[in-house]
Amino acid sequence: MSRKMDSAPRHGVSFRGNDGSSGTATPVSNEQARVAFYFNGRSIEALPQDTVASALYRSGRRTFSRSFKYHRPRGLLCVSGRCPNCLMNVDGTPNVRACMQPVQDGMQVIHQNASPSLETDFMAIAEKFSWAMPVGFYYKTFTHPWMWHLAEPFIRRAAGLGKIDNDPNAVTDHPYEHVFLYTTTAVVGGGPYGIRAALEAAEQGEQVVLIDDQPALGGYLRYTGSVKNTSGTASHSDTPAEGEPTEGLDALVKRVNEHPNITVFTNATCFGLYEGRLLGIAHKNPDSSVAQRVTQLRTERIVVATGAYEVPVLFENNDLPGVMLSTGALRLLGLHGVTPGERAVVVGSTEAATSAANELESAGVEVTGVVPPDQVVKAVGRKHVTALQTAEGQLACDLVVVCGDWVPDAGLVAQAGGTVAWNEKRSVFATSDLPEGVSAVGAVTGESLPPAVGLSTSSAANSKKVFVCPCEDVSLHDLKTAITEGFDHIETLKRYTTTTMGPCQGKMCQQAAISICAEQTGQTIQETGRTTSRPPTSPIPLGALAGPHLHPVKRTPMHAKHDEIGCVWMDMGEWKRPLYYGTPDSKRESVEQEYWAVRQRVGLIDLSTLGKLDVVGSDAGKLLDKVYTNRFSDLRVGRARYGVICDEAGIILDDGTVSRVAEDRYFITTTTGNIEFVQEWLEWWLAGTGMCVHITNVTGGMAAVNVAGPKARDTLAKLTDRDLSNKRFGYMRCRQAEVAGVPSLMLRIGFVGETGWEIHFPAEYGEHVWDAILEAGAEFDIRPFGVETQRVLRLEKKHVIVSVDTDATSNPIESDLAWVAKLDKDDFIGKAAISRAKDRAPREKLVGFTMDEDVLPPDGCVIIADGQPAGRITSVRFSPVNERIIGLAWVSAGLAVAGQTIEMRVDGRPVTAKIADEPFYDPAQARLRQ
Amino acid sequence: MSFLIPCPNCGKRSAYEFRFGGEVKTRPEAGSSNEEWLGYSYAAANRNHSQKEWWFHTYGCRQWLFAVRDTMTNEVTETSLPEEAP
Repeated sequence: MSRKMDSAPRHGVSFRGNDGSSGTATPVSNEQARVAFYFNGRSIEALPQDTVASALYRSGRRTFSRSFKYHRPRGLLCVSGRCPNCLMNVDGTPNVRACMQPVQDGMQVIHQNASPSLETDFMAIAEKFSWAMPVGFYYKTFTHPWMWHLAEPFIRRAAGLGKIDNDPNAVTDHPYEHVFLYTTTAVVGGGPYGIRAALEAAEQGEQVVLIDDQPALGGYLRYTGSVKNTSGTASHSDTPAEGEPTEGLDALVKRVNEHPNITVFTNATCFGLYEGRLLGIAHKNPDSSVAQRVTQLRTERIVVATGAYEVPVLFENNDLPGVMLSTGALRLLGLHGVTPGERAVVVGSTEAATSAANELESAGVEVTGVVPPDQVVKAVGRKHVTALQTAEGQLACDLVVVCGDWVPDAGLVAQAGGTVAWNEKRSVFATSDLPEGVSAVGAVTGESLPPAVGLSTSSAANSKKVFVCPCEDVSLHDLKTAITEGFDHIETLKRYTTTTMGPCQGKMCQQAAISICAEQTGQTIQETGRTTSRPPTSPIPLGALAGPHLHPVKRTPMHAKHDEIGCVWMDMGEWKRPLYYGTPDSKRESVEQEYWAVRQRVGLIDLSTLGKLDVVGSDAGKLLDKVYTNRFSDLRVGRARYGVICDEAGIILDDGTVSRVAEDRYFITTTTGNIEFVQEWLEWWLAGTGMCVHITNVTGGMAAVNVAGPKARDTLAKLTDRDLSNKRFGYMRCRQAEVAGVPSLMLRIGFVGETGWEIHFPAEYGEHVWDAILEAGAEFDIRPFGVETQRVLRLEKKHVIVSVDTDATSNPIESDLAWVAKLDKDDFIGKAAISRAKDRAPREKLVGFTMDEDVLPPDGCVIIADGQPAGRITSVRFSPVNERIIGLAWVSAGLAVAGQTIEMRVDGRPVTAKIADEPFYDPAQARLRQ
Repeated sequence: MSFLIPCPNCGKRSAYEFRFGGEVKTRPEAGSSNEEWLGYSYAAANRNHSQKEWWFHTYGCRQWLFAVRDTMTNEVTETSLPEEAP
């Protein structure tokens, strides 16, 4: 793709065929030219106020896309972001509406859904096969499995619009941000009614946010200027409504901009109105570094002033490039100074048709006729309109300007809970019954809209080529067929034909589909009803909804030390933890070296990520007795105990140690990811009980390490005055002590199965204590060890990790933790359920196993008995001390017998293992208590 | 879901700041029948309109509170702290 600028702009040259255009290029004079962007690699000159679509149109381009199903050429239709005809890929973002995208220097625009080019698209052959793809064909054809296998790759390739950039690094190129704001009044729509509503509210002292999806305020006044009654919107601007400012647009906008109470969002689409009067707003390029900003705007009052829009007229080939809505043609003229064509025919019977013709003529467009819609037979032309066939003959033209019916843009009203219903008398959709705090003004109410002319398709037309839904290529014929097939309710008709379900969200087709449904079923439009209007009212990128690509990271106080030594990191929730020390390819050796250090000498692990709670108060023991399955009120000061928390269904929620550090004070550890939950859980059972307990989360304030191994005592003895002998500091005791001069809480516990101390101390001393321990242990060849090594060590001890070895169905009885549920206690959370579990026969059990051969099954591997799944592995590792592969698994209760052989398949091969009753290492707990 | 909850400590806040704790139920006395425990653990009244619920203000005062919510409109009509609840 060439990024070079074309050397000379081709002024006024009419180019056709290969070069991609069929229209006449309007020159851009050198003085005016400010911006250049690239379309399919070719440089296009543009004016600063241009959109991608207007600049391409000026350059002579007439085909902007290929349709979804038949790949028919499509040109500009609405020029206001309401139809699907100009979807393009802009700077890597697919499906950007080119008519809403302001041009920027160097922007890369490429076409979509056509190969090799928009002008010559091989997929256009699809139209020749339209007989094979009737409406709802995916429900009717390819129903044989073998047929579907053949067809699927083609259908998958053909389906969808646009291509997503799969490069994960590309995400940073599309920065999205989320903003949360509050205002008293929000006005959606910056036309004259919206401006007036904003000024009125601001004058009353309200804080107002005025939102418009265009680059500037003014609505239709921007392209009809001071001349009123020139477009189809005329009816709501005929005569100024009572109280409507009669001043010009510039003066109005000036008043808005100068008002201190009004904030204006332009280029901002309000895509949804949610409960609590919350508006979702997608703000395009709010500044140069942000592609889209989604604002959640909370409000007290919302004024919907979104106006109304014009919809197409139904006739054969009504989708041909060159057939344009009158508002589209006038927008090209008025906003961008682009002449939409040389010779135009205007279709329309209302006053609006005459005024559109006048406007075009005054811009130098030759108007060869004004034709009422019921006189139109078809648009003639292959890739672009060349004439309009009427009942009376052909009118040659290169532009058909269609003055269609008007539809209130009432999606937000419907989402607010208001009613949008057909007004039989006035023949328009109108809004009513708005909820408190939401009001509608202007054309969106339907009040001032001209009555809809409705359907007037010529019977001579080929209804297969009368397009109702341009997004999904649904024709009049398709809708009639679907209704004949029984899909005669507007909601089933929608789902079956996918009409109204395309990128335009039914803006172009909903009214027509309702009219057709009503006509074909003999109902009134009122009886037919409308499909439900849901957010988003306009398409927005999923990335904008997802928001910024941010991930909070928590680092322990010793993080830099781990980095210094060199470790492989793992994510544990938001925390970073060393998995082991070494390099990515040294896993097995590193883990084994760390392992032997702990088993034979001494090891050191950073446990700062453990959740830590300080629980203080005269009722602290009482609260813990209620929440934990075992008892803590009888725990003596200076002792620690393992505890498990369950819910009322007896399911294990968390585990950890509880140490009584003073008569009224407990120190609790929780699993790393569960601290916030455990705190909430304790607070919950405390709430409203009147118990005297204060719970403080001290996780971030405290660092923690575990020093474990036969030489742990000798190592720590060098750093503390505390007597570490078994007699004075036995297993499951806790003591306050100075370690390396730092006030600490020492717990003698043994997760890894060796003599060891867990030491908790103020986080700011993290590096100091870490270094001191490594230095003290140097003579014993101390080694730091990581999470992976710890997992091997604890697995040999059959110590369970909650949420690794247990899940949302595990109770203590079946998890080999029955001893921790003290059913003799009066009451605790989950007692009733655990008692029930104890009384009935267990369904499955958590057991240890050793593999019969040296094969490592993956975590989660299915266990098979008699050809049926009978369990799953939760943890499995190589045990260096046993020189075998060991693990924990859930098996059906019948299999949970020591020595029982279990089967599984690894790499497609059956392998066996034996259930083991005892821990795999030091079952007598002798080493722990040394 | 984007309604507001007037937290007694923090004022009107988005429901996204809170964790939902379910209907306020009365926990059976220790020693109650299995049926009572099963009902308490698994059955919800799931009322139409006014329902008293637990909410925890995770991204605010970190307190559990009672909220009376209309389950049809999500309007929260009343909130209170458990200590002060009638």
